[in-house]
Amino acid sequence: MDPAAAVDPATNQANPYLPEVAADPVPFYDALREHCPVAGFAGMDGGSHIISRYEDVRWALKRPELFGSDLVAVDIGQDRPLIPLQIDPPEHAGYRRLIDPTLGPHEVARLEDDVRALVNRIIDRFVEDGTVDAHEQFTVPLPCTVFLGMCDLPLDMLDTFLGWKDEIIRPGGGFLPPEEAGPRRRAAGLAVYGYFDALLDERSRDPGDDLLSRFLTTEIEGRRMSRDEMLDICYLFILAGLDTVTSTLDCSLAYLARNPEVRRPLVDDPSGSSAAVVEELLRLHTPVMQILRVVKEPVELRGRQMQPGDIVMLMLGAADTDPDEFGETAGSFHPEREVNRHLAFGGGPHRCLGSHLARLELRVALEEWHRRIPDYRVPEGAELVYSPGIREIPSLPLEFTPAPVPA
Amino acid sequence: MSSDAPPTGRVRIRLDAEACVGHGRCYALAPRIFGADDLGHCEVLLPEPPPDLLPAARTAVSSCPEDALRLDEL
Repeated sequence: MDPAAAVDPATNQANPYLPEVAADPVPFYDALREHCPVAGFAGMDGGSHIISRYEDVRWALKRPELFGSDLVAVDIGQDRPLIPLQIDPPEHAGYRRLIDPTLGPHEVARLEDDVRALVNRIIDRFVEDGTVDAHEQFTVPLPCTVFLGMCDLPLDMLDTFLGWKDEIIRPGGGFLPPEEAGPRRRAAGLAVYGYFDALLDERSRDPGDDLLSRFLTTEIEGRRMSRDEMLDICYLFILAGLDTVTSTLDCSLAYLARNPEVRRPLVDDPSGSSAAVVEELLRLHTPVMQILRVVKEPVELRGRQMQPGDIVMLMLGAADTDPDEFGETAGSFHPEREVNRHLAFGGGPHRCLGSHLARLELRVALEEWHRRIPDYRVPEGAELVYSPGIREIPSLPLEFTPAPVPA
Repeated sequence: MSSDAPPTGRVRIRLDAEACVGHGRCYALAPRIFGADDLGHCEVLLPEPPPDLLPAARTAVSSCPEDALRLDEL
């Protein structure tokens, strides 16, 4: 199917949740912005609005008083709002002042050597094989192992964490009906809360220098955080911290594997080129295609009325490929572009607080991959399937010239 | 600092700290002019950058997705 066919100008409806859209979203985004800049979400009853132009998305991101994040309607297996993702201003700011420094640029910069060593240990496991499922063997273990390290947790928890994350985000691979998915999400959610509750008990008896121990001693607006608040933050870290870096690396490696001329700078000068390449990959591929908001006050945009309680989808990927912001080259890859105000991490007060860590992981992963595996491709005949919403590629086979593991 | 700069070429950078949410584009693109506080929000290190840093200053100011930075010609 032509991805642009998921936009129907006759009814002003669109459906971004299709694998063919996730695989090749730019034609969909172009049709959406041009024909239905504020569209209805096909298949959803009641008020729903898809906002796609850069200017409009940026406007909405900056107006939490109109477009709130208190999404009780979105069931992701938790009892309470995710902190700070589902908290509106003014409470939101207090949490951010507390949490942001733990993942701020200065704190994250200290992790670079460890992340680089970890990336190389992961590559060591398959570099002699000449073939790899880059999703399963590279892009999934990397962010999760970094997180385990930051929390000072044993590496053998990796599979447990990945199991929880998948059960919460896409139980049964993401294709279960809601009545089956809901209970599975909730069961995994309870397991996560139980695990971290016990862990926080342990760390309060014997604190260390890790992320969790810091939560126990940091004050927010003059008070300690409650246990529930700490657990809600942990829950969000697992959901937001693990899946998004994986999907960005999936999209990036698949694109670079199919476009050898694009990866040339990464091969020739990994550390000199990686920062700009990462920003352009984030922009063009925007792995988190859209984020949700809930309308709080009656508001009109481009002639379309929105009522309190309506769901709004801010189509970040469409904003990031808007020619009105990025010019004629908006739909193609140009890491040399001088100004790149992409919204892949969102914007406004809820802008991704893990972005500094994400950028570090992406940059170091691509530098080390291309230093050690400069020549790679998707095997002939392999078809890559992208999951909608958050663009993972659950099976990403790549073949390459084998290289020895350095002694 | 700017004594050898042409009198018309001077600029002053202004930060709207309320608007900054920590995208970090400024200090990534012009690390001699901008720094980051603990939260990752912008700190202007050189509010009146010397002429050789002007191109970087202009790029960084234009790159803020929140329009939190402004560059005034003095």
